[in-house]
Amino acid sequence: MDRGSGQDFVGPLRRLLVGILLLFLIGIFIVWRIDSPRVERFRADVIDRVVPSFDWVMAPITGTARIVADFQSYTRIYEQNQELRRELRRLQSWKEAALQLEQQNARLRDLIDMQLDPRLTYVTGVVLADSGSPFRQSVLLNVGSRDGVRDGWATIDGLGLVGRISGVGAETSRVMLLTDTSSRIPVTIQPSGQKAILVGDNTIGPLIEFLEDPDVVRPGDRIVSSGDGGVFPADLLIGSVTLGTDRRLRARLVADYERLEFLRVLRSQPSEAITDPGSLIANPGIGPMPVQDRPDG
Amino acid sequence: MAETPTSRIWSHRLLFAAVSLGIIFFSLVPINAVPSRWIPPDLLLALAFAWVARRPDFVPVWLIAIVFLLTDFLFQRPPGLWAAWVVIGTEILRSRTRSLRNSSLLLEWLTAAGIILVIFVGHRISLTITFVPLPPLGRSLLQVGATILAYPLVAIVSHLFFGVKRTAPGEVDSFGHRL
Repeated sequence: MDRGSGQDFVGPLRRLLVGILLLFLIGIFIVWRIDSPRVERFRADVIDRVVPSFDWVMAPITGTARIVADFQSYTRIYEQNQELRRELRRLQSWKEAALQLEQQNARLRDLIDMQLDPRLTYVTGVVLADSGSPFRQSVLLNVGSRDGVRDGWATIDGLGLVGRISGVGAETSRVMLLTDTSSRIPVTIQPSGQKAILVGDNTIGPLIEFLEDPDVVRPGDRIVSSGDGGVFPADLLIGSVTLGTDRRLRARLVADYERLEFLRVLRSQPSEAITDPGSLIANPGIGPMPVQDRPDG
Repeated sequence: MAETPTSRIWSHRLLFAAVSLGIIFFSLVPINAVPSRWIPPDLLLALAFAWVARRPDFVPVWLIAIVFLLTDFLFQRPPGLWAAWVVIGTEILRSRTRSLRNSSLLLEWLTAAGIILVIFVGHRISLTITFVPLPPLGRSLLQVGATILAYPLVAIVSHLFFGVKRTAPGEVDSFGHRL
C-alpha cells in the first residue's frame, strides 16, 4: 500500500467526509419517509426548475425520433390508405346513426326537462418529458399550478383517458398514466354496467379487477370511468375489454400511448357533498314540537 | 499533451457530469409512453462504476452523490436512498482500484458486477425495512442483469472516446503524488 505517503493524512478526513455525505443522503430519505408531502413538493420544484431548461435540447431529439417513427409508417402507406377507406365507409353509416340518435336524445331530454352536469372545461398541455425509469409510467406536462392545475385531475388525450395528475409544480405537473403500477381507477363496463377497478401493472393493458360478475363482461365491451369516489368525472372513455394471453381481463386503452404529445387536463369541480342526515320535517303551521314541561307530582 | 494533470482531472470531471446529463436527457425524452417489454440497462450506474474502477480521481464522491441525487428526484425514486447506496458501492470499488489496476477486464467486470448486486440487494432490503412499495422483482433483476452486461461496453467506450484509462504505474498528479 503506497497510496502516496504524502496522502496518508487525507485518509481519515476523507472517510469522515464520505460518512457525512452518506448521512446527508440517508437523512433526505428518512425525511421523505416521515414527511413525504413536503419532500414531494420539493421534488416538484426541482423538476420544475430542471426539466423545462432541458426542453431546448430535448425538442430536436424528440422531433428526430418522431420523424423516424413517421418514416417507418410511410413504408406501409398504401395498406393504411386502403384500411382507412374501408373504415371510413363503415363509419359513414355510424355517423348518420349518431346524428339521428343525438337529435332524438336532445328531443327526449327536452321533454323530461333533464339537468345535465355542467360541461367540463380543460387546460391543454404539451408533454415535456418521460418518467425516465422503466418502473414508473408517467409523463411531465408544461402546465402547473400557475395554470390552476391541481392534484387528482383527469387527463385525456382527445380520445380517451390517459391518467391523472399526481404532483404539481409551478410550471410543470406530472401525469401518472393508467399503466403505472400505482394507478387505480374506478370504472364501469358498458353495457353490463359492472363496476370494476382498473389496475395498472406496467404493461400497455391495465388489469380489470374486482368485477362482481365476470361472466356478463365480454371482450369488446366499453370501459368508462365511473366517477365513484369523487376523484374523477364519470363517463370518460377509457377503452375496451380484451382477454389477455394470461386469460385475465385487461383494458385496451383507446388513448394513443405511442404518441402522447398534447394532453387535456380536465378541470373537475368537486361534487357537492351531502353532509347532514336531513332534519325532521314538521308541519310549518305547528312549528317545531315544543318540549312540554310536565309538572310531575 | 499541453494540459497539466490537474486540468485534465477537472476536464474529465466536467465530462462525467456532461455525459451523465446526456444519459438523463435521453431517458427523459418523451418518445413513447408504452411500457417497454425489455428493460434498458442503468447506463448511469455502469458509467459511474466504470469510471471509478479506472480513474477514481475523475469521479469524486461528491460528484456521484450530486448526479445520483438528481436522478433520484427526476426519476421518481425515493430521494437519497439509491444515491446513498451508489456512494457506498463506488467507495467499495474505489478502495479496490489499486488492486484492479493490473488485473484483466474480466476481473474488473466481476468485481463491479458483485458490487452492483450487493447495492441492489441492500437497496431493496432498506426499502423493505421502511415499508416503501418495491418495484417488481423480476423487472428489477432484469435491469441489474442488463446493467452488468452493459458494463464492459461502457468501460470500452469510456476508454476509447473519453480517455478513461487505467493509470500507468508511476504516473503522478500535478503535485507529484503517485496515483
